[in-house]
Amino acid sequence: MKRKNKAVSYQTAALMRAKQDKYFKMIALIGFLFLWEVFGRVNLHTLWIEPKFLPMPSEIILAAVTYIQAGTFWGHVGISLYRVFIGFLIGVVLAVIIGGGIASFRFVDNIISPILNLFGPIPIMAFLPMFVLWFGIGESSKIILVTYATIIYMVSYVSSGIKNTDSVLIRSASSLGAGPVQIFFKVKFQSALPHIFEGMKGALGAAFGAMVVAEMMGASTGLGYIIVFSKNWFKMSDMFMAAIVIGLLYSLIFAVLSLIESRLFRWKTSGANSAVES
Amino acid sequence: MAVVIDHLYKAYEEKNGEMQYVLNDLNLTMEKGEFICVLGKSGCGKSTLLNCLAGYLKPDKGVIAVDGTPINGPGPERGVVFQQHALFPWRTVLKNVQFGLEIKGIKTARETAMKYIDMVGLNGYENKFPSGLSGGMAQRVGIARALANDPEVLLMDEPLGALDALTRDSMRREIERIWKLTEKTILFITHSVPEAVFLADRVIILNKGKIQLDQKIDLPRSRNINDPRFTTYVQQFESAITGVSSDSVITE
Repeated sequence: MKRKNKAVSYQTAALMRAKQDKYFKMIALIGFLFLWEVFGRVNLHTLWIEPKFLPMPSEIILAAVTYIQAGTFWGHVGISLYRVFIGFLIGVVLAVIIGGGIASFRFVDNIISPILNLFGPIPIMAFLPMFVLWFGIGESSKIILVTYATIIYMVSYVSSGIKNTDSVLIRSASSLGAGPVQIFFKVKFQSALPHIFEGMKGALGAAFGAMVVAEMMGASTGLGYIIVFSKNWFKMSDMFMAAIVIGLLYSLIFAVLSLIESRLFRWKTSGANSAVES
Repeated sequence: MAVVIDHLYKAYEEKNGEMQYVLNDLNLTMEKGEFICVLGKSGCGKSTLLNCLAGYLKPDKGVIAVDGTPINGPGPERGVVFQQHALFPWRTVLKNVQFGLEIKGIKTARETAMKYIDMVGLNGYENKFPSGLSGGMAQRVGIARALANDPEVLLMDEPLGALDALTRDSMRREIERIWKLTEKTILFITHSVPEAVFLADRVIILNKGKIQLDQKIDLPRSRNINDPRFTTYVQQFESAITGVSSDSVITE
């Protein structure tokens, strides 16, 4: 091939490799689904596995179409999205407030940290029955469980991010006339923001987990509910459909977070290759 | 008198019940517009002196007054330039230089900041982030940021220490030019004896927390490093710092 002889910069080569990898991964995924479909179709005749227990990709898509035609699909997706999004958002705000308090005031640290250390290691699902008894079987108990999961996951990212602010930045801000409040918002918080985002991305997984569990116990709507409901009727393809939609929703919000992150932290890599001596 | 340091004591630890003073009864007066360089071996107390002046450290005894007002903690009337530029990485050059003015709530922050960016020769770089700047450029931004706040005194803590030799040389001239232009009072800490002789009105040599030598440099500016009087000063200071005849010591 002629192109092999053409000189390409290191960056161009890396970009080309990344593009190739992307195609490779897509083909791998399509291949996997294809093999699954083929296996399922062969299985219909050979009956290695009871076909009811292993739906094929085409059946899963059909299940989604059935829900959409029945007019209930978007309602379930919407309510799940609402629960996870509102709960997550409140959780992020509270985690920033709590983490900021822990990092800024020793007495807050001394009061909150032992409590967090006591409850933090307990799996979130263990709290659901209590939350249902306290907050009822309505939306609040589910949203609060999501919020709780987000807070537990995120607080340490926030507090350690703020505590790890480079002291020379704090000094330089104070020599430019900034008081403690301005130093917190203009220096410490800004410097912790990448850690906070890292925490948010991790907490999103915890939030989705909490949402699904909450919907599986004591809900009559939502994707988690579809899984439990379908189980009772041996509707395997519906279960798969709901699980896959949950995964897609998670990926969607994660991608949005990543996009905001790359926009927000352009300063990290800005012009890393364009530094000029002077 | 811009800065008066009166009987300053600072100790970090004690040994056998005796305070180990890093600054031991230090007295120093800086005239308005004066450029003072502080030299001394590591551990002589020069960084401690700067940190006390900046307000990051509280002296054990003694008073530091700027324009007759005793200082209490860090403040905008004492600008600091750090060895590691200490720019806010999430702010552009312009926003970094604007920081102090923003804190003061000055409406013309942008214009003032641009004026100082221009002064340090970084016109056209105002929207770059610090990660895209070289060491010398970042240090210029650090100087512009400190100056934009119009401080009474500028404290410079080995600002050229992290730069390579060539950049360092051109930055020396830059600093001299900016000092002439702004007529600021500057306290400049350095390891390099020729640098001190090149820049200073007065060179202070610290030793064991006291002023060992306080010497005016009586040479016209810009100074020629090959001038025999320049080398005489350099030799005098080198032997004062090391305590041996300067022939056997190589300094940067």
